[in-house]
Formats: sequence, C-alpha cells, structure tokens
Amino acid sequence: MANNNENKMMSAEEAIRRFVNDGDELIIGNYTVGTCIELVYEICRQEKKGFTLYSQSGILDVDILINAGCVDRLVTTYALRSGGKNGGGALERALQAGTVEIEDYTNYNYNARLVAGMHGFSFMQVFEGIMATDLFKKRSFMGDDKYRVITCPYTGKKVVTVPAANPDVCIVHVPRADKYGNAQYWGSMGSVAAASLCSKKIILSCEEIVEHDVIQSSPHFTIIPAYRVNAVVEVPWGAHPTEVLGYYNRDRSFYGMFMAANASAEGAKKWMDEWVFGCEDRKAYLEHYVERFGMAPLNKIRARAFYSAPANYGSAFTSVWDETGREQTMGITLDEMETILKERGLLYE
Amino acid sequence: MSKGYTLNELLIITCAKEIKDYENVILGVGLPTTAGALAKALYAPHATLMMESGIIDFEPLIPLNHIADAHSCRGFSCATDLFSAFTMTYRGFVDVCFLGVGQIDKYGNLNTTCIGDYYKPTLRLPGSGGAADFISYAKRTVLTLRGGEFVEKLDYFTSPGYLDGGDSRDRSGLFPKGSGPAMLLTTKGVFRFDDETKELYLAQIHPGVTVEDITKEIPWDLKVSPDLEETLPPSDREIDFVRRFAPTESVGRALTMELSIKATLNRSASNDTR
Repeated sequence: MANNNENKMMSAEEAIRRFVNDGDELIIGNYTVGTCIELVYEICRQEKKGFTLYSQSGILDVDILINAGCVDRLVTTYALRSGGKNGGGALERALQAGTVEIEDYTNYNYNARLVAGMHGFSFMQVFEGIMATDLFKKRSFMGDDKYRVITCPYTGKKVVTVPAANPDVCIVHVPRADKYGNAQYWGSMGSVAAASLCSKKIILSCEEIVEHDVIQSSPHFTIIPAYRVNAVVEVPWGAHPTEVLGYYNRDRSFYGMFMAANASAEGAKKWMDEWVFGCEDRKAYLEHYVERFGMAPLNKIRARAFYSAPANYGSAFTSVWDETGREQTMGITLDEMETILKERGLLYE
Repeated sequence: MSKGYTLNELLIITCAKEIKDYENVILGVGLPTTAGALAKALYAPHATLMMESGIIDFEPLIPLNHIADAHSCRGFSCATDLFSAFTMTYRGFVDVCFLGVGQIDKYGNLNTTCIGDYYKPTLRLPGSGGAADFISYAKRTVLTLRGGEFVEKLDYFTSPGYLDGGDSRDRSGLFPKGSGPAMLLTTKGVFRFDDETKELYLAQIHPGVTVEDITKEIPWDLKVSPDLEETLPPSDREIDFVRRFAPTESVGRALTMELSIKATLNRSASNDTR
C-alpha cells in the first residue's frame, strides 16, 4: 500500500505506545514556538528511554525529556537555561554528570541535515566559515561524521558538508489538521516541515481537527501531506505553556515557573511529578491547572482574530460539459460523441 | 535638556542608531528587537526587519519573546523557512545582524556555548543558535554584552569575529571580504574594531562611567580612542518610544520581576475578597 489515507485519529497514549520505541532517534518537529508539549509529556509518562534526541532549539522539550531520563544523546543548536550564573537546567546537570552526550551545531548546519534527509540526499553543503570554530573542531559521538570536507567538482573549492538526518520518528504540534493527517501550519515556519518530512514516522498533534474540505481550499498552509503521517492526535492547548498562533499566546508566568523550578534537580523533580507524571493526559493537566490558577490566566492569553485574506482558488469552469450538455471544444453531447465514434469504426466491440 | 532615561533605554537607543534606512536587518533576542522597532519607527522606515525563523519584513506590535515570535508582529510580508533565511544571509542579502555575547576576546570572536570544559561544563550556555552563521555572512554584526565577560582566550570558540586579528579573517577565504563585527555595546560603553589590527578599542563611554571602570574588567591592555566620546543622551522622542513600546525593558529585568510579583499578589488578594 503506497499510502494510508484513512482516519488516523487516536489518543496521545496510543500514538506514543505504537510508534515510539526505546533507543529511537526522536526529533522534535517544532522550532521555538508551538512545541508538541503534550506528546513530550506522554513520552515521559510511558518512560521511553535511550533516545538520540534532535531539537533545533531546545526550550521546555529538551529539559523535560532529560529530566525524565529519556535522553542518552542530544543533537541541538540552542538549549535554553534558567538565567544567570546561579541558574541551571537539566541539560547542564546531565552534561556535568556525564549521562547525556551532546553534539552542537549552528541553526543552519542542523537544519541542513534535515533538509538533506527530507529530500533523500546523503549530505548537504553548509557554509565554510564553520571551519574556524569549535563547532567544527570539537566533536562528540558523531566523530568524523559531524562534518566532512569535500572538493566541489565544479569550482574546485573546499566545501563543508553535514550528513543527512533521517530520525525514526518525529513528534510535532500544528494548529490544524484533518483526520487523515494533512497538517496545516502558519506563522513562524522555522524548520517544522523539514524536521517532520525527514523522519521515517510522523506523530502529529493539533489544536483542532478540521474538515478535509478546509484543507483542500487552503493547500498553501499544508506543510505535511497525510500520506506521510502515522498518527493524528487532537489536543486543544496541546502546546501550553508555549504558544500557537491564532489560538493562544505563551503562558509567561507558568513558563517562568518551570524555568525557576528547573534551575535545581529537586525543583525539577517536584515540577515533573506535579505537571507531567501527576496528570494522566492533557485534560487532567488542564483541570489541574484550572484548580491551581483558575481559568483567568488561560482566558487572558486566548488569541483574538486577525484572519488571513482568502486566496481565490476558483476557475472559470468546473466541467468540460457546458450548461446544455455539450463538450466545450467539440460542441457535441456525449450521445453524439458515441454515435460518431461508432460510425467511424473507432470502437472495439 | 532631555528627560531622565534608564541605562537600558540608553543601550536600546544606542543600538538602534546602528540600523540605517533601507537596510535588511536580522534581529536577535532581547534588546535588539526593541532597537529594531525603534529604528523602524524613527530613523529607518524602509528597513526590512527579519527573524531567522523565516519571518521577513515584519511590523513590530509588542516586544518579541524570541526569534520565532509571529505573535508580536502586526503583520509580515513573507513567511519563508529557516533554511532560506540562512541561505539568503550566505548570499549576502543581510546588511546587519545583532548578537548577544557570553565571552568575547580582543578580536571579537565569541563564545555562547559553555564556561569551562565543553564536555563537562561549569556553565552550559545556550549554544550557537544562528550566531555563528550570521556573524560569518552578514555584512556587519553588532554585538551586545550585558552578563558576559572579556577574556584572553575563549573557553569555546562559537562564532568567528576577526580570528587572529589583522587581515586573518579576510585571508582565511571563509568569509565575505569586509564582513565581521562592527561594534560592541556594553553597559559601560561602545567599542569598535581598529581598521588595521582589528583589535577592539573603546570608542564611546556612557555618561557617569570612567575609563578605569571599563579597563578593570578587561584582561589585556585595552586601547582607547584618542577621540573618545561620551555616548549621546537620548532624545525625549526616543525615550518616549521605548517606554511606550517596551516598558518592561525600560524598567529592567530585576525591577520588572519585583513589580510583577507584587501585582500577582495584589490580584490574588483581591480575588480572595470576592
């Protein structure tokens, strides 16, 4: 079967259980905004482990997965840490303890690996300036394969390359999708499409499921076609406390609470016990949130409307047959056409 | 005589003056995003403001949370992706970019990756993000240093400035000729890079700061411009813009934190009585 265009809707629990395995190369599809937080939490709850984790810009995702003990190796460009010399974070603690190995890239170099993987190439050219830096010189678990230098067959110049990445599974959150997995995204495009499409399997969560007709009338928003997707999970507030354009803004004070807690191992554990392990799914998480803080903070960050102007996908005709039933080019009806074909001896009978 | 201004306001306004009209500008997290909004509003109405996440030609609405923050734009003209944002930089379409500094050496090379040993760091900083890519290929780069430090030798070489100084950056053949850091802004002054040696020197000093305040934080014999100037105080118009657009930046992180905790407590107290 070339594709699997059937209803793929399921719970986050089922999606992670079926499609994420211990020891996988796991990639976070989102870049800085709208992160797939509920899918990350579900991976923690199922105690999956041994990942090589890819995250273009690690915000909550990387530290939460490290706090839960899911990560052995990390490929990233940026990992947010609680501020200042007195701060800290899960990644810093794990590096100091030697429990996580890291491979650092620049934003472009990391993304180039995904773009190569997405298009089926074995490597991608990156910018030669990187050779002056420790990103090029200091290597971890990738060793020589972190970067390799080749000679361009056309110019004879030295060209730095990075290897394609094709992770086992991508988890990604999008604003809306249909039940088949056609995923629509708008706003800050980042590397969401590349991270998703370079992967072997894709688990999609979305703020809302829309009718297939909505997708068909706005295909320019679709970044992942259904035939690539393995699971679709509808999770309103699925990226909270990060933000989803058109749905809600970042929950800054809650985000700040995590950052403060994550500065110490004890604080992080307490936070994980309460908000990740203590809530069986997103519904329980939201109920717990409302119990603690009320609805007001959530209502305050709901997006107001600023709609994209519609594009006209219409054409002059919807059929080659005109209103009198005549074909537009030949000027005849279907009956007349069949009669002529028979008369001319063009039908095999 | 202009009205009083905060140090943060002075920094934002000094930074904004580095943006010229009609330039293509990549804005980094924090102070530069407000500087970009100010420049666009007051001095550079035709500047194209861009973020590395692929947001091109945006109109700032409120201060940005980060470099993928479409929520903080009134609108933007083109939604491309991160890959294309960097390849356009490589091709030379970015005039100026802004980067924050963890450690900096005398030739403007930067570390934003770690303090201590890379494999077992004392402090793990965020990492390169797009920094090494942008400082390599933007025509010029403006650096801002607030929590960072000047060092003889970087703990980790994240982003290339003028390498070993002199013409070594141009001679390496790895970068566009003439590119590199143009200016370093700190809480005490403005530094620029010598045309010949590419060593950074003190060019401007902020009001109320002495040269000694600055040299004591620098582990080499800092060169000071013979024409050392005092940073111009901002105009009322500039101060008003920053204060209305980004009041929490005018006020600064510590005081904002103090006031926001107080506001939260007041809100919950009034809820309790209802």
